[in-house]
Amino acid sequence: MERIRRPIRVAVVFEPGNRIVPKWFELDRCKHEVCETTYQWRDWAGKALRLHFAVSDGQALYELVYHTGDQSWSLVAMEAT
Amino acid sequence: MQRVILHIDMNAFFASVEQAVNPKLRGKPIAVVGGGHRTVITTSSYEARAKGVKTGMAIWEGKRMCPELIIVVGDNRKYTHTSSEIMAMMQDYTPEVEVFSIDEAFLDVTASLSLFGSAETIAYQIKARIRHRFGITCSIGIAPNKLLAKLASDMQKPDGLTIIRPEDVERVMERLPVRELCGIGRNVERRLLLMGIRTCGELGRCDEARLTRAFGIVGPRLKLMGQGGDTAAVIPFGQEDEVKSVGHSMTLARDIERREEILRFLLQLSEMVGRRARRYRVAGRTVALYVRYADFFTSFGRQQTLPRPVNLSADIYRAATDILDGVVLEQPVRLMGVTLSNLCHHAEQLPLFEEERKRECVTRAMDDLNSCYGEFTVAYGSLLADRHKNGSFVISPAWRPAGIRHVDVS
Repeated sequence: MERIRRPIRVAVVFEPGNRIVPKWFELDRCKHEVCETTYQWRDWAGKALRLHFAVSDGQALYELVYHTGDQSWSLVAMEAT
Repeated sequence: MQRVILHIDMNAFFASVEQAVNPKLRGKPIAVVGGGHRTVITTSSYEARAKGVKTGMAIWEGKRMCPELIIVVGDNRKYTHTSSEIMAMMQDYTPEVEVFSIDEAFLDVTASLSLFGSAETIAYQIKARIRHRFGITCSIGIAPNKLLAKLASDMQKPDGLTIIRPEDVERVMERLPVRELCGIGRNVERRLLLMGIRTCGELGRCDEARLTRAFGIVGPRLKLMGQGGDTAAVIPFGQEDEVKSVGHSMTLARDIERREEILRFLLQLSEMVGRRARRYRVAGRTVALYVRYADFFTSFGRQQTLPRPVNLSADIYRAATDILDGVVLEQPVRLMGVTLSNLCHHAEQLPLFEEERKRECVTRAMDDLNSCYGEFTVAYGSLLADRHKNGSFVISPAWRPAGIRHVDVS
């Protein structure tokens, strides 16, 4: 996975049980539909919780992070086919 | 009452998590490595192990054994989170959960059997839930004590379930090499071999006085182990003995010999040790420095005992520097470690002098900021210069389920 860090727009569905499900994201003006969320994990940046999502658009694997501190999304890693 | 203990061992944990994250890695030989330039294989998938790749090998060695080996840089945040979730899941079956390492745990389910039916049912449920939730497998051993439960889980990998019933113990132990027992390392094995003891059966029948003469107070325990006995209780998190020392060591990305570089690294380690000590609310009188040279085989360790307990990073750094100044370094340095021991608990220093009060206030302010915004958000200026070259900034143990969790491991 290539490590990067850039702000990104992500559309998500908030499901019951505080679940966040990424549906699509925009990268280089292209919309990528999330086919599968392969893994989720969380960590902390100080007191701010960060939610990590490994998602696939059917072509490549991406790591999206939701920063609960400032409620922003970023793309932190990407692995192309 | 006969105890029922489960030992749960996640199979090739880091590699399995990486394969769960990335579907393209599934079924392929992968090796997980650290992030540094010079690094060894931390763990590998079963596909890689089948081709001879082992933990501790250099990457080039792994590639030689298995040219198609895929190298994955590990991310301990993923593993920490997964481990914490799994450990929490185990608490659904019993509060008696001992976290043995990031990927291993003991469960005492003796009192839970009436709720869940049998230990096997519990084991199958745990396996199914871990597989469903994380897509990874584990091996579980069920036995009357921790020693045998660990032995049992090692017998079938990956994705195994092995039961050693009390009536099977003698048969299982009779021909088992002593080395297979958790707690018997190469050194003890060698000494036992010199005494003509190869198997657990022989160890269990050995005269206790003979073992005591050879191993001291450990002798009777070795005999008991040979018989498959173990009286150790499962110790849930939070009920462990008080911490006895706080230490950090790091392998450098490259060998260093310039004094200012070594000192910078020493400061980083001192800050990590001090930060942890202050979190645990302990202070220590003994500061130890450990250095391993570039040849990997030669090393030295020295310690210094101070007149009063310290936990401020600057004090630890000063003591470590004093030790370093008393030694002539023979080669470039490959690994350094700093440890604080001789601890007093619930330590609150009461500074007498204005200067000390200021230092403590600054340290407290730094700690508060780092707790709030992530480790090393505020750090000594000299650490910021070559931050990317100074190895890991992880303040372990980050994986403890209820321990120091708010760590920024980036």
